[in-house]
Amino acid sequence: MTINRREFLRRTIHSALGGVALYSALGNLKLVSAATHAINGGVFNDYKALVCVFLNGGNDSFNTVVPYDATHYGIYHATRPALALSQSAIAAQSLIAQATQPGLPGGPPSDAGSYGLHPAMPELRSMFNAQHASIIGNVGTLLGPITQAQYQAGGFPTPPQLFSHDDQANFWQTSRSDDANASGWGGRIADLLHDGNPSQQLPMTISLSGQNLFQRGDSIDQYVMSASGVESIGYLGEYQNELGAQTFGALIADGTQAHMFERAYAGANRRAIATYELLQSVLGTTPTWTTPFPNSYLGSQLRQVANLISARGPGALDMRRQIFYVSLGGFDTHDTQLASQAGILADLSASLHAFYQATVQMGIAGDVTSFTASDFGRTLSTNGDGTDHGWGGHHFVVGGDVRGGRFFGQMPSLLQNANPDDAGYGQIIPTTSVDQYSATLANWFGLGAAGINDVFPNLELYASPDLGFMAS
Amino acid sequence: MLRVLQERSSVQSGRRWISTLLVALMAFLLASGQAGAGEPDPIFNDGFDGVVGPNSDVEAARFLDQASFGGRLSDIAHLRAIGYSAWINEQVAAGVSGIKPFLNWMALTEGVYQQHRLEAWLINAAQLYDPAIPLATHNDQLRQRVAFALSEIMVVSDKNAALTFQPWALGDYYDTLSLDAFGNFRDLLEDVTLHPAMGRYLSMLGNRKNDPVLNIRPDENYAREVLQLFSIGLSQLNADGTPVLVGGNPVPTYNQDVVRGFAHVFTGWNFAGCTVENYDDCGPGNPYESEWQTPMQAVEAFHDNSTDKQLLNYPGVALPGGVLTAGGNAQQELDAALDNIFHHPNVGPFIARQLIQRLVTSNPTPAYVQRVAAKFADNGGGVRGDMQAVVRAILLDDQARHGQLSSPSTFGKLREPILRLARLWRVAPAHSVNGHTFRYSHPRDQYGQLPLSAPSVFNFFKPDFAQPGEIRNAGLVSPEFQIATDTQLVTAPNELGWRIFYFYVGSRYSVVWENGAPVPEEALMDYTALKALAANPATLVDHLNLVMMAGSMSDYMRGLLITRLQGTPPDHLPGQPDGAAVDVALFRVQQALYLIVNSPEFNIQK
Repeated sequence: MTINRREFLRRTIHSALGGVALYSALGNLKLVSAATHAINGGVFNDYKALVCVFLNGGNDSFNTVVPYDATHYGIYHATRPALALSQSAIAAQSLIAQATQPGLPGGPPSDAGSYGLHPAMPELRSMFNAQHASIIGNVGTLLGPITQAQYQAGGFPTPPQLFSHDDQANFWQTSRSDDANASGWGGRIADLLHDGNPSQQLPMTISLSGQNLFQRGDSIDQYVMSASGVESIGYLGEYQNELGAQTFGALIADGTQAHMFERAYAGANRRAIATYELLQSVLGTTPTWTTPFPNSYLGSQLRQVANLISARGPGALDMRRQIFYVSLGGFDTHDTQLASQAGILADLSASLHAFYQATVQMGIAGDVTSFTASDFGRTLSTNGDGTDHGWGGHHFVVGGDVRGGRFFGQMPSLLQNANPDDAGYGQIIPTTSVDQYSATLANWFGLGAAGINDVFPNLELYASPDLGFMAS
Repeated sequence: MLRVLQERSSVQSGRRWISTLLVALMAFLLASGQAGAGEPDPIFNDGFDGVVGPNSDVEAARFLDQASFGGRLSDIAHLRAIGYSAWINEQVAAGVSGIKPFLNWMALTEGVYQQHRLEAWLINAAQLYDPAIPLATHNDQLRQRVAFALSEIMVVSDKNAALTFQPWALGDYYDTLSLDAFGNFRDLLEDVTLHPAMGRYLSMLGNRKNDPVLNIRPDENYAREVLQLFSIGLSQLNADGTPVLVGGNPVPTYNQDVVRGFAHVFTGWNFAGCTVENYDDCGPGNPYESEWQTPMQAVEAFHDNSTDKQLLNYPGVALPGGVLTAGGNAQQELDAALDNIFHHPNVGPFIARQLIQRLVTSNPTPAYVQRVAAKFADNGGGVRGDMQAVVRAILLDDQARHGQLSSPSTFGKLREPILRLARLWRVAPAHSVNGHTFRYSHPRDQYGQLPLSAPSVFNFFKPDFAQPGEIRNAGLVSPEFQIATDTQLVTAPNELGWRIFYFYVGSRYSVVWENGAPVPEEALMDYTALKALAANPATLVDHLNLVMMAGSMSDYMRGLLITRLQGTPPDHLPGQPDGAAVDVALFRVQQALYLIVNSPEFNIQK
């Protein structure tokens, strides 16, 4: 049923964009407030990209965004003495929050503390202070707002299998904590907006990190490539196999099949080859990025995303809406966290910065938004040299359209005992839902009200469907 | 561990007995066939269904394309010797291959994961040597092919995080489908409904009656999908599977009240052994424990026995108005509800069409669907839901046997990607040293499809997916095209190519050869028989045309392949020792297999 409704919406949005009406939807066009500010003959006339940076394993955000003022640092240090970063090191990475703007969310931390970033993250700190990045506090999977009292009383709806990697990572990627078998929210957006791209050659969802749930749609399939390039049919390029390649080509050549399905299959093969050849050709000459990307897994993924975005124009990929997926692993820091987390946070910071600088270099910093996501936050309490699976956690959004230099949402208490935000065992109850976080990004992306309602059906559970961290 | 061993040995001894019996039976049947000097014996061929044949190797190969994972020469000869009907009888009687014995065998030495389920599935499909049951022949090809089809209709998946680390649960679910493949649909429906893997997947497990204090209402997940996907579908069907239209519009089979009614019926079920006290938090602690392989049981305190339930209402429905009046216990209400579904007139055409799509053709004629659905309604002996009769009707229908002649440009279907690997291993028999099939080379995303690993309850592809372009414009559907994506059309040929060019007996490739010997876990294809045909490229191509394409290869393709095989090999073949003379026969076998398995003509089963 969902799929039928989505197909209907897709078609109506496409119609609203000025495309051919594929579906008789008279009287229902009013559903679509989507993206109609940017229409031109069926396609968007501006470019926007979303980049999901998934931190595999559940990042310990309580050692990523840390208070350094005496009161809050004292609490932080008392709660996790074995893992506490030094006060001076945090202060040296201080975040200068912008003042609250009248009538708008976002500003200094809700607990009035002074916060800094992990010492391994100077680039992200600079971007925050330059208002190119913001922090969304205590985001997590929810089935509606829930208080500590409600949680502890039991029976109040919460996402199933809390604290479990796969389940919670899935809910982050689907924004459907009520449905363990849902498709991804990036994929569902692509189902609706793909037709708004001038070229239909390349899927608007591209993964640099394997098949993922976030980009799984019902009708648009993610294109998977690697940081090092596009996979091509190996046989066609084998040494001394020219006649083999020629034979393969003759078997799929247009007009050589007698059966309709054979023709369709041959056509699909030719299309797949054309897609990778197109990507190979546009990636054959890529810009020289003035801010070098780290030679890390994440750095090379984001470099490839920048390369792809640089080829977005007519004559190359000809795309106006794209959703990318990259990932970084190692966040499941049950032990030796101080050593291991520093390295990956450093990579995250430097890679996000290089990527942002690439968008500046392309002159489209305001058209590209990167955001972090992760399985869950980790426990406030420690197990000695590490932390365990938690629930809510802080996240970063980066881009020229981000209302930067601000904290959004609530900063939870870091108290070890009598903590009003603690679900138990230091697992912090989220005060902002993944649904709100995702929908705010989707709204900026141009999904429109009807699309938002479709992709995020649980959004109605929250008073603020848009968190206000995007400028337009 | 003891329990596992005992279970394995009992399965094993049962299998061994069946195998022995079968060997004897087959020897007898083969002898009978040989008596006619290769000609079909009329006694065996003149089935009770009145379908005579096969009358040629090509006809036999084409039938086996639909009814098995691909006919080898021996399969073709055997089918020709005994005829379609006897072959089906033999398949029904054959010992049932399972996934679980292999998992249990694996558990003796190492941790068991979903990838081992794939190994077991491939062993069964390709009839490889089975280290868990060394004497097993896995000769139940038709049953396994039907089970695979059922696994794509009544979907559970390890992509669901709650099942990712439950290989036994999914293995047992698959084995349940195999066991029920030729049974009654009503039993299949109940076994699927009560399987803990399904219970977990569609959240009937732990489902409970209304609790106004806790603000809990029955979960509607299973209620919705069992109706929409496993039995009747969204709209009313005519007996031939076409939608009933009123004023040009389809008529819904049920509404939200009905979903709610079934949701209330499906309350109170949990893992075997759960109690009132531990209902919210009970169940097996480890994947191999028996609760994952035991039907869910009811805890009456959580079953809604106090409300009337609106179930399906249709002409001739047993429950007055389709309403189940309150008062039954969980099992009684489940029985009534599943009967209510089972007798809905949609079930026959709905299931018939999808099974035809999986085995024979994407676009069966309404008359074909109607004939099969009629067998579902009555197997000829007054029994509804006899799956053996349904499968027989599907395969022996004139459309299945001759549809490629009446609709030469549209009959058939796109082969499922993972079946291409199984087929390859049948054409060039694969085996490893120790009976595993992979060490590090497990397929993952390359095929866009692995058994019981669909992205959602909607399967890898939907029955009505129509490839944009000529197929959609013609008003036809092509379900398997949904996963023929830009990504898969590159990764699958590369994966298959990797196997063909590197994973062969004698290969020195580093993944399959180390310390001067083959890596014991990796299945390698044995090209001996094929290489013997390769001296004359035409002979090799014609053989592969029979066993891979049921003789349907065009002259155009045949000519291209022969020209390619006559071409000059490269200086060095992958996996050959340095300095070795080029093995022309190996080159020809590999080129022929690769080009065929990736060709449009092979990939459309006709």
